[in-house]
Amino acid sequence: MNAISVRALAFVIGLMVLFAIPKLTGNEYVLALGISFAALSVLSGGLNLVYGYTGLLSFAQVGFFGIGSYTAALLVTEQNWSLWSGVAAGGALATAVGMVIGYSSLRLSRHAFAIVSLSFALLCMIVARDWVSLTRGAMGIPGLPAPTINLPGGMRWRIAQPADFYYLLLGFAVFAHALIYGVVTSRLGRAMRAIKLNEPLAQSQGINPLAYKLLAIALSALLAGMVGGLFVFYLTIVDPSIFDFYYTETMLIMVIIGGPGSFWGVLASSAVLTAVPDLLRFTTDLRMVLYGVVLIAAMLLFPGGLGGWLHRRRVARWRQPRVAP
Amino acid sequence: MTPVQPLLEVRGLTKRYLGLTAVDDLSYALETGSVVGLIGPNGSGKSTSIDCMSGFQAADRGQWFLDGRELTGLAPHRIARAGLTRTFQTVRAYDELTLLENLCVAAQENDGVSWMQALLRGKTLRGADAAARARGLELLATVGLANYADAPAAILSYGQRKLLAIAASMMPKPRLVVLDEPVAGVNQTMVRHIEEVIRKLNAEGVTLLIVEHNVDFIMSLCSRVIVLESGSKIADGPPGLIRSDPRVLAAYLGNKRAAELDAGNG
Amino acid sequence: MRPRGRSVDLNFYAQLLLNGIVIGVIYALIAMGLSLIFGVLEIVNFAHGEFYMLGAMCAYFLTVNWGFGYWPAVLIVTAVAISLGCVLYEALLGSLRGESFERSILLTLGLSMVLQNGAVFLFTTTPKMMATGLSYSNIIVGELRLPLSRLYALGLGLAAFAALYLTLYRTRVGKAMRGVAQNRDAALMVGIDPRAVSRLAVAIGIGLSGLAGAALAPVYAVHPLMGFSFVFKAFAIIIIGGLGNVSGAAIAAVMLGILESLVGGFLPLVMVDALAFISMIAVLLLRPQGLFGRGVRV
Ligand SMILES: Nc1ncnc2c1ncn2[C@@H]1O[C@H](COP(=O)(O)OP(=O)(O)O)[C@@H](O)[C@H]1O
Ligand SMILES: [Mg+2]
Repeated sequence: MNAISVRALAFVIGLMVLFAIPKLTGNEYVLALGISFAALSVLSGGLNLVYGYTGLLSFAQVGFFGIGSYTAALLVTEQNWSLWSGVAAGGALATAVGMVIGYSSLRLSRHAFAIVSLSFALLCMIVARDWVSLTRGAMGIPGLPAPTINLPGGMRWRIAQPADFYYLLLGFAVFAHALIYGVVTSRLGRAMRAIKLNEPLAQSQGINPLAYKLLAIALSALLAGMVGGLFVFYLTIVDPSIFDFYYTETMLIMVIIGGPGSFWGVLASSAVLTAVPDLLRFTTDLRMVLYGVVLIAAMLLFPGGLGGWLHRRRVARWRQPRVAP
Repeated sequence: MTPVQPLLEVRGLTKRYLGLTAVDDLSYALETGSVVGLIGPNGSGKSTSIDCMSGFQAADRGQWFLDGRELTGLAPHRIARAGLTRTFQTVRAYDELTLLENLCVAAQENDGVSWMQALLRGKTLRGADAAARARGLELLATVGLANYADAPAAILSYGQRKLLAIAASMMPKPRLVVLDEPVAGVNQTMVRHIEEVIRKLNAEGVTLLIVEHNVDFIMSLCSRVIVLESGSKIADGPPGLIRSDPRVLAAYLGNKRAAELDAGNG
Repeated sequence: MRPRGRSVDLNFYAQLLLNGIVIGVIYALIAMGLSLIFGVLEIVNFAHGEFYMLGAMCAYFLTVNWGFGYWPAVLIVTAVAISLGCVLYEALLGSLRGESFERSILLTLGLSMVLQNGAVFLFTTTPKMMATGLSYSNIIVGELRLPLSRLYALGLGLAAFAALYLTLYRTRVGKAMRGVAQNRDAALMVGIDPRAVSRLAVAIGIGLSGLAGAALAPVYAVHPLMGFSFVFKAFAIIIIGGLGNVSGAAIAAVMLGILESLVGGFLPLVMVDALAFISMIAVLLLRPQGLFGRGVRV
């Protein structure tokens, strides 16, 4: 068997194990961790697409996540929309907002994009708190009902148990990561990396940086908005804390530790960073202080991150004197 | 005789920076298949003029046309897609991509594969990718870097990076290639190698405009030379005439290149 | 509070205007520092709001726990903030060079996380009221009631603005700072020590932020998350004023303060919140280089 089919086999087995977990253990804590991982990994994967591959530091992801959550929650509870149409509407709205932010700021500079995306995320939280007539303010919308999904053959799947949410979110995460993987391994991903590595050179070769940057932003906004719309029914409440900076910091750390621009690295670090701090029972403040320290240390000691290190190793290997012919 | 349409036509190109006119009412035309040199003392506006032509700087005045199609005011990527590619004086490469990837990226916006096709990975994409790889390998062989096709560009020496940049500028089969100082700062052996490469590429039908400081290099390579001084064109003609042009000699006077020009003349 | 239906009297407007100017001047203190640091170092200091928060916290503890008066507390906090700025530059920002914009953001973001969550950890999120005599004193002019604490904050803001102006225009290093912000390479060539200039820019920026926190401590509740909601407006302001344009930031800040106050007098709170952001997006779409363009100018 060659290396590729070994990897494919490992991947399939890994997936089967993940989907078998609710059957193997009824432990709700394990399922809760799995659900958190599914949601957070979609967020970090989207951020990796925007920052790791395209080079745009975005703080807006949590805004997309929360917009998706509020939209889906409001449409499903107040307008009686189905789960999927609510979630799709949440994703669409997040995408539209992402395009506005991206288009307006990227024409100026990537500095402006970083600043605008941060302002946007903070604005979202404040609007959720103060636009009481729409969002019901700081109390949020508690008691979201268990959604149902119409399956083919007239069956209805009522998503009420942790195991149901586990399947739902894991299934969506697989879809989201497959999409991201498809993009980053295609020539679209190659163009994004080119823009990150040397934008003027890319322009001189006919690549339109704005188009690819907007594509990355749109995709990540869509996925973040949709996963927000699904996750919120698991939480059973949506309130302004859905926009908490905690999510931003968590996904940033996942991307930085996993290596910006490394698909599997970020996926792995998402899993580890979902489980480990939770198992160690850190309080949120302490965890954030530690993340801050890690971020500072990473920027001072390993400015290139994992990717930079791998790159230097590859360069060193090629520079080794070759055996004379 | 009916006049042939020039490949590139520049009319009245002007670029000012706060009080300084870097390019002043520059006009010229290039014929298809030619290799033309653009020389001039440091700061005479050579790089600025090609930055304007390739869309990286906004020109204050002037128009330019490729094959009769107006390129004035277009964004850099549009100008590149229209068939005018360039290299940079400060040589640029994607350090973390392999040499072959560096070249394939350079072709991907010109092969008509849509985003959807790229994602779905159908026949169109596979055909286009195979063609790009083949052309990339061929160009790497031409510039003598075929052994490093799968190495990251970061391992290349300065001169090799210039070669990679030249190869990349050829990838999308452009109509006109502008090289900004292709041999500045590289050793003599490499200069001759680059000269060979440029001849080979020209023989395959590419038109080139070469910006250089190295007068010998330009004189031996180009059939025609345009000379800039303080943003204005002061001479335009075959190398032999340029060498004896009094205004050119004056522009280079007091500069050690005057000696170079004389030496080349004698 | 909000007169509806009957003719709105002039005093109400005057009150709104005054509040707007006070808040605008405080926005300006924070945004000018942010803009100065960006202009000189090309670094967006994401921890800027945290220094505002620390300034307010310090002022609170100095007055309430240690019995200092308002003015000594403001002085001490400002001095501490300036020194903190020097430390911040030497310890973290000084090592950043060249194409490291994203790195500088992540670094200062990490710092912000440590400071903010550290403060939550130590002091909890419960708001503290700095209830000194000052908080309740008013000056009555005609029918206008002017809270003394706001007037003090206004005076402090104007004094700081004057000091910054004098530094930038009357001192050698200030002129160097403007030089670097306008043309980095040229300034480096005439032999300005870029480290000294950068250090000073960070010290001034952080100093202004700390001062703003101390000045506002008697006006608003003090808590670890206060910097966070404030700084997002400062970011909008520096884009509106033109990235790196210090006086542009000051003008945009006062305009925003007044506008917010007037809008707040008549429209729902959410409109006030969104005003800064919507103005920023509008400016980016219509005039991307900012209302007043780039460069340190006064
Ligand atoms: N971005 C810029 N801002 C201000 N002046 C510039 C800029 N770029 C180039 N110049 C000036 O324009 C003139 C022409 O420069 P350039 O085109 O680089 O010359 P060359 O390539 O012929 O050496 C020089 O005097 C240079 O200082
Ligand atoms: Mg030049």
